[in-house]
Amino acid sequence: MQETGIEAGADPWAQCLEQIAEHRDRAAFRKVFEHFAPLIRAFLLKTPGGNWTQAEEITQEVMIKVWRKSGSFNRGKASATTWIYTIARNTRIDFIRRRDRKERRVAIEDMWHEAEASEEPLVDLQQKRAEARIRAALAELPDEQAQVLFKAFMEGKSHNEVAEELGLPLGTVKSRIRLALGKLQVMIDR
Amino acid sequence: MVSFHPDSRFLTDFTTGSLPLSEALCVSAHLYYCGKCRARVQQLTDVGSHLFNQLAPETAESGDDFETLMQRIEQNDAGEPVSDDLATSSRVSVSDPLVGRMPSVLGKLFQQGLDSLQWVQLGRSLRIAPVDLGDERRETALYDIRAGGRMPEHEHRGEEITVLLKGSFSDRDGKYSRGDFVVRNAGEAHQPTATQDTDCVCLISLERPVKARALFYRLLEPLVQYRLSRFSN
Repeated sequence: MQETGIEAGADPWAQCLEQIAEHRDRAAFRKVFEHFAPLIRAFLLKTPGGNWTQAEEITQEVMIKVWRKSGSFNRGKASATTWIYTIARNTRIDFIRRRDRKERRVAIEDMWHEAEASEEPLVDLQQKRAEARIRAALAELPDEQAQVLFKAFMEGKSHNEVAEELGLPLGTVKSRIRLALGKLQVMIDR
Repeated sequence: MVSFHPDSRFLTDFTTGSLPLSEALCVSAHLYYCGKCRARVQQLTDVGSHLFNQLAPETAESGDDFETLMQRIEQNDAGEPVSDDLATSSRVSVSDPLVGRMPSVLGKLFQQGLDSLQWVQLGRSLRIAPVDLGDERRETALYDIRAGGRMPEHEHRGEEITVLLKGSFSDRDGKYSRGDFVVRNAGEAHQPTATQDTDCVCLISLERPVKARALFYRLLEPLVQYRLSRFSN
């Protein structure tokens, strides 16, 4: 397991991002690139209909955004890994919308950033505890729950798409995801 | 006080990016008013981030070329990192005060003001403005119900999501106020009534009936059915 950058103490990647923002530090950016570009590429290759050429192009797009937006990274709000993952996810959503050309284009970030900009930010310590808990619990998930979670988050499939692909009723997929989230103590239904 | 929230399916599909735009707009509008659900989406994002971090890294076929990337960056801008180009553009200047208080994604959609939308007046107290998102499966619309106005009882052929943007309304299941995310499934009938003191504006996402018809008639459909049933009784 590599250094994840999300331990409760130091977040080395956060420091890199801050150096990029403050000093346009190329060495720091190279470190971030070498660690994250292969992860971003792996993530993009999981996209339904994805291929190497696309994955390569979008990986570059994501890394350019990391460089340009580093000033908006705030370690009190999210770990560096979460921040970079969020950019990769949003870029992928935007790519899929562009590719399929069905829906009207809206700025994906508007759907998210607004939420964070409002009151009630998560307490830093709380956030860190949640991250440690999630990491530990993920390793313990039964295969069938880990599978649906992976398809939803990494392959970007909806509950309906996962149900269709696995030949399961929608309710089964929903309950597997809820059970998994419950174990991660990500409480989402009361 | 927001009391009706999207369930785990909506929040998860929203977080993973698989929720179609019409529904995603509704969730996004709810999040703007609901700190609790924002925190949940943040936790879900953390789940995604951990799974992301555990992926087996894929090295580029031609090897990772950092220098090429830096050249691209330097060509694109003067190498100047911008703080956040989205934050600066996330607020548009709008003359309509209601639009100004809306979540920014809606603020941008309606920046010409609500009056510039194509409103269809249905009776005295309700008008509807369709919002074209290019989604084949769902209708998206703004409903504006006059204070104290009562919608005819209607039934849906598909799932209907309502997010209150202004005012409040009630039906026999409860009272809903700004930010509430209310889902009615196909076949559930209800008769919403706006409260007396203020007009009620809602964002609506409605699953399209399988049968395709002209937009105007599709929007009217629940009401037409109501009238027909009333006259036939």
